[in-house]
Amino acid sequence: MGEQQYAIEMQGICKNFGSVAANKNINLNVKPGEILALLGENGSGKTTLMNMLSGIYKPDSGSILVDGREVAINSPEDAKRLGIGMVHQHFKLVDVFSAADNIWLGDDKSGPVLKKDRYGVIGEMAKRFGFEIDPRKKVYNMAVSEKQTLEIIKVLYYGAKIIILDEPTAVLTVQETAKLFDVLRRMKEEGHAIIIITHKLNEVLEISDRVAILRKGEYVCTVDTPSTDEQKLTEYMVGRKVELNIDRPLVEKTRPLLEIRELTIRNDEGAVAIDKVNFYIRGGEILGVAGIAGCGQKELCEAIAGLRPIESGMMIHKGDNIVGLSPRAILDKGISMSFIPEDRLGMGLAPSMSITDNMLLKKYGQSSGPFVDRKTGRAEAEQVIQDLEIVTPSTETPVRRLSGGNVQKVLLGREIKAGPNVIVTAYPVRGLDINSSYAIYDILNRQKKDGVGILFVGEDLDVMIDLCDKIMVLCHGKVMGVVHAHKTTKEELGLMMTGALDLSSKYEDKPAGIAKDSRIENNEEVEE
Amino acid sequence: MKSPLFHVVKREQASPAQQLMAYVAAVILALAVGAVLLSVQGVEPVTFYRQLITMGIPGSRYPWRAVENFIRLFVPLLIVSLALSLAFKMRFWNIGGEGQFIMGAFWAAVAAMKLGESLPKPLMVVVMALCGAVGGGLYGVFVAALKVKWGTNETLLTLMLNYVALYFLQFFAETKGEWNFFLDRSSARPRFAKFPESAQMVTIPIGPFNLNLSLVAALVLCVILFVYLNYTKRGYEIAVVGDSPNTARYAGMKVGKIVIRTIFLSAALIGMAGALHVSSAGVMSASPTNDVGWTGVVVAWLAKLNTVGIVLASLLITVLQYGCQTASTIYPSIDANFANLLQGVILFTVLAVDFFTRFKLVRRGGKEAVK
Repeated sequence: MGEQQYAIEMQGICKNFGSVAANKNINLNVKPGEILALLGENGSGKTTLMNMLSGIYKPDSGSILVDGREVAINSPEDAKRLGIGMVHQHFKLVDVFSAADNIWLGDDKSGPVLKKDRYGVIGEMAKRFGFEIDPRKKVYNMAVSEKQTLEIIKVLYYGAKIIILDEPTAVLTVQETAKLFDVLRRMKEEGHAIIIITHKLNEVLEISDRVAILRKGEYVCTVDTPSTDEQKLTEYMVGRKVELNIDRPLVEKTRPLLEIRELTIRNDEGAVAIDKVNFYIRGGEILGVAGIAGCGQKELCEAIAGLRPIESGMMIHKGDNIVGLSPRAILDKGISMSFIPEDRLGMGLAPSMSITDNMLLKKYGQSSGPFVDRKTGRAEAEQVIQDLEIVTPSTETPVRRLSGGNVQKVLLGREIKAGPNVIVTAYPVRGLDINSSYAIYDILNRQKKDGVGILFVGEDLDVMIDLCDKIMVLCHGKVMGVVHAHKTTKEELGLMMTGALDLSSKYEDKPAGIAKDSRIENNEEVEE
Repeated sequence: MKSPLFHVVKREQASPAQQLMAYVAAVILALAVGAVLLSVQGVEPVTFYRQLITMGIPGSRYPWRAVENFIRLFVPLLIVSLALSLAFKMRFWNIGGEGQFIMGAFWAAVAAMKLGESLPKPLMVVVMALCGAVGGGLYGVFVAALKVKWGTNETLLTLMLNYVALYFLQFFAETKGEWNFFLDRSSARPRFAKFPESAQMVTIPIGPFNLNLSLVAALVLCVILFVYLNYTKRGYEIAVVGDSPNTARYAGMKVGKIVIRTIFLSAALIGMAGALHVSSAGVMSASPTNDVGWTGVVVAWLAKLNTVGIVLASLLITVLQYGCQTASTIYPSIDANFANLLQGVILFTVLAVDFFTRFKLVRRGGKEAVK
């Protein structure tokens, strides 16, 4: 062995699920005081591999060495005892418990009784690692970044020396990501070994020391970060050369298709989710919506689709009011909404039903007679599968069995097939790898060229700056401003997202979000 | 740290033929467990099972009578299981089959006692079936409406309404009074009066055998429901609502309307089964259900809500129940409850087999895991 012992070493790891090989002969190692990025497309087996380290799965063959000693990790408890801690993509926290209780809960040494001093003990330990957290705060009151911090503290509290983070930055803003990276660097200095899974290449280059790449369950290589760049990493990941530029074709814009005025919406809890928002979408443009998760994007999408009643305001489509119309009537006007929630399947698709049946979802009622017209559905399914290169055994495969990227292609394919004039799409590339993401950007750009107006609710600011024509930033339901994508920067958007920068009244003569050639006459209806 | 002796590994998708084989194996396994229990009690299992499966028909002086009785048990279970599968497909946990069945029987009996003298026979049976359907349907749709309007829990409500229906019926069964037209006036103790002749189930004589018309109705219903669930727009709506109510709403479906319509249908069919049942019996009873509301849940799940499967599973369960009844008349140490025991063991083995068609255990060292 070399000059330094590896904190963790995986040798020849294989794992099969039925006939599917999730991991084939994978080698991986991390030294103490090192950050290793694990990179790969969707379904390349990253999470499976990490789940074997954290004791959720067991390898079919191969060995795992911790500090040079071979170990068997049969359960998450074993992993904890070995000093391996994982921060999952979906947080494993009890919402109604306080921060301290969530940590105390999994502690073997704490005994059966909740002791009074737990808040002090945990608060102090958090401070020692340089975290700011209120140990008495309940999880349901926490922001996403706080929950993540809590997860990391939890892992450290249990004495983890090897820390695995599964897509930790997916839910964070630029500023929060920077903060997280500071924490990671500090942990690295203290001698922790860190494995981080992420899709974002710029983050890989920024934070990691080495990068291990997986492709379709197979180990490709490990490279030193300083000696590589985004282009090379993508090639390793995809297995061929990929063009990494997102086009922003210039299309002649039409008059506003969808105009939103003074829109106010409440969320499920009755709090104001969208607060007096004005904006408009023209045909042939992509309007991005940026904002921290939960700042009203979902409510806005639902309101446009007619799924959520609005408090006040106007929604005008081609000069016609669509407030109060049923979801069916709004669909018939050519407004398509596709929202990819965190679990990817919650809205827009029926997961246990076939691709054919999902194609029919919005139009099953159009055929005459009492029967469902599956023939048309199957023909459409075949066409969408062909057009968007969906990987599936057949048109009758339940959507649930497809991989993430293919599921999203089915959804978008159906929406586009319906020939909409306004597309509202939220997180269409959520969790997708580079290849599938670019396929989806391409689909959106083709629609834009056909004169469709697109509202793109996104997460990745780099992508939005490249893809969108204009970007609207929301913060706590208020519009912080609409900026031209080619004139703005990530930093500016980040500041607006946190509410530190308000550009909504930059031009006093021209109210933001109201088109000059609006189809709404000046003598607006008086509202209650 | 030692590895555990076994660990669970996912299998490839089993083919339908393999799955069918697995279920047959599960039933055989359950019968084997039953055989052990029988031997312990000093009963010869092979003869007992022969008795059970033939249901005492061969060698009987009235073999047709046995078949008629068998059908009388089979039809309610079949209709109730079908109806429940309709609700379960939509993930609406209707466990109120008992109550809906009783209400169907009750309103059919009301029709029989009030109109039986004035209406001719075939029409009277149809009227009873309709009254039962409306009675049971309204009893079920009440819960669906509460769920749609206020999001109440349908499992609790349908469960509790079972007992409300049961005691409601018992009140009529046990209270003597001028107004209580259900009771036999000539009897000193409260006793249900026989239905008028026109309210007795229509039978079609085939030689010595009288074919109960409700069997024909049930089989026709199977076909209709199969088509309804798999090929019609309404069946499609049920599947989408069951799979993801959010998606259904998003696709412009009126989810509340679909839930209410489907649950009315489900409960109405159960109510109708109750009506057909009392009409076949020719007399009301204080506990008319024979537990079909519960057994139907078992059947629907055994069959995985598949219509053809439901026919087979309800046939199997009825053979068990009826066969145990007849077989237990010969063996004093065994009574009809043995059927319930076997039913439980079958459900258990089928669930176990289900697990093993999807997963397998691999021994420590697990060389066979790597193909």
